[in-house]
Amino acid sequence: MKRVLRRLAWAVFVVWATVTIAFLVNHALPSDPARMIAGQQAPPAAVAKIRSELGLDRPLWSQYGRFLRRLVHFGPSSFEKTDPQHGSCANAGPLHLDLGRSYQQRRPVTTILAERAPRTLLLAFAAACVQALIGVSAGVFAATRRRTSADRLAVGLSMLGVSAPTFVIGLFLQWLFAYRLRWFPIDGYGETALEHLASLVLPAITLGVFGAAYYTRIVRDEMIGELSSDYVRTARAKGLGPLQVTVRHALRNAMMPIVTMFGLEIGTLVGGAVVTESVFRWPGLGSLSVNAMLDRDGPLIMGCVVVTSTAVVLSTLAVDLAYAFLDPRVRRSGSS
Amino acid sequence: MSTWRGDDRSVSGAAARVSGAASPPVRMRDALLRNTAFRAGLVLVGLLVTLALLGPIVARHDPYTSDFVGGITSENLPVGPSAEYWLGTDRIFRDVFARLATGARISLAIGIAATAIATCVGTVVGVLAGWYEGRALDTVLMRLVDVGLAFPFLLIVMALGAALDRTTATTILLTLGLTGWLGVARMVRAKTLQVRNLDFVVAARALGQSTWRILAKHVLPNVAGPVVVIATLLVAQMILAESVLSYLGAGISPPTPTWGHMLLEGQDYLTAAPWISGAPAAAILVAVLGFNLLGDGLRDVLDPRKT
Repeated sequence: MKRVLRRLAWAVFVVWATVTIAFLVNHALPSDPARMIAGQQAPPAAVAKIRSELGLDRPLWSQYGRFLRRLVHFGPSSFEKTDPQHGSCANAGPLHLDLGRSYQQRRPVTTILAERAPRTLLLAFAAACVQALIGVSAGVFAATRRRTSADRLAVGLSMLGVSAPTFVIGLFLQWLFAYRLRWFPIDGYGETALEHLASLVLPAITLGVFGAAYYTRIVRDEMIGELSSDYVRTARAKGLGPLQVTVRHALRNAMMPIVTMFGLEIGTLVGGAVVTESVFRWPGLGSLSVNAMLDRDGPLIMGCVVVTSTAVVLSTLAVDLAYAFLDPRVRRSGSS
Repeated sequence: MSTWRGDDRSVSGAAARVSGAASPPVRMRDALLRNTAFRAGLVLVGLLVTLALLGPIVARHDPYTSDFVGGITSENLPVGPSAEYWLGTDRIFRDVFARLATGARISLAIGIAATAIATCVGTVVGVLAGWYEGRALDTVLMRLVDVGLAFPFLLIVMALGAALDRTTATTILLTLGLTGWLGVARMVRAKTLQVRNLDFVVAARALGQSTWRILAKHVLPNVAGPVVVIATLLVAQMILAESVLSYLGAGISPPTPTWGHMLLEGQDYLTAAPWISGAPAAAILVAVLGFNLLGDGLRDVLDPRKT
């Protein structure tokens, strides 16, 4: 229990440190948001007014303090969107989360993130399914046919999959399935639920290929280890069929590290979605952060950093805790 | 490569326990050349190096100049691969081959230089943290690595790219190098922990040798094997990172040809002129695959337990 609490505290610290570094980097960037909002032709007085409204004329530590105070604070449970104090907040009861307003879109950052996050999660989840499905079946397939040409083909393809950059795969799929065969839309998100689904297919495969190839290698190695163990020999001696031995005995034991990876992957996928989303113009967090960067939209950049680093930290945390829960050895050493 | 092989011989008994590579240089070279992955990697990387070294010399056109006479079709589209333009022309009618070859130089240079920086920093941090395990220095360094690994670096590299009006190769390789050492440090620390308690290190300490001497003479040569493997794989990651940055518009500023940006430029011409994207896509694939195979082969030979 003490260990879990320590682990949680460390997770909070990592997110805080990440956010602080991002704040400093953001501040050090040689760009003038007030000038950007006011426009190139605006008189200096107007620029100065915007600067003081945004608090950009205050010293760094005061801006940082304000940012942290606003990030998580308490306020009324219900408020108007026009409220000068809490207009840009997102809240759960009296607990408020405020990341300010985007310089470019002039909307609360929390609103924009809430709009984009589910789409990236959907994409990451679909990709995780793609990799688990392809990776596990290809890995088992190769392991049960070890040293045959089918095994070598699977290993070779997985090497190719691990090495192929996301955007190369994405462009290839676009070229083949969107331009040539016209089975799926080239990019975008679509209007209806059915269109969303059709638009999801190519990006999900693109994002999942690396993981699928990586899983194939891991599952193959694990399965080869399990298949040569004593209990599998016993199961075979009992007269169980090859399918039963492979799936019910060996695969079950080989799954442990795979489940661990599945958890880790979701966090990585949220981060890795940047390139995939840009290739397919998928309106999620990844393309949002790229645009925020290119527009030098400070509050939006900070929002993206907060969300992505939290996602990565949470998924590692979840894996650590799940490990402690699943493996009695880790659990016991933790409680002592 | 050569340094660690030489040192390996002098402490071969201990090295056998640590990295599993006790064979003298010649036998190791033979083992490497028998390894299919290593051979395939060698061929691919060889192709790439040839393209980078000779490509710009044999190219028939300048990579920066548009050709509105020979490089354009009657429908105002780029021309396809021909004897004149080996890989066709791009959307503003420049020679794709010349740009690809110049891009190869940039990719390789950045990949190798950034890896060198990351490997040096990572090795120093890892050896120090491992040697002083459990002390304040180790705690601080490893916590730093933890935070670093959770940090969305792409965002920061992009922010830098967006902030500097002109991004040069030096900016990119420094950013990649100084952000890429985290994984190396973790691995080297783990290896140092193993080496630290081996007999010959304990003996050197008992003899009263200074810490720096032990680290340089005994620890470093014995963590070098895995470092060579990880560095080879890192070159692939760095080349990939460079092309991702230029694809996203945060890499080296145009008109300098980079594979990532060439890919982006060709994306709108996937049907009309697939070679514009196809050539850099193939080049990136060959580069990443080549270094990955090299690294895999090295690992197979240096660390037989993993296979």
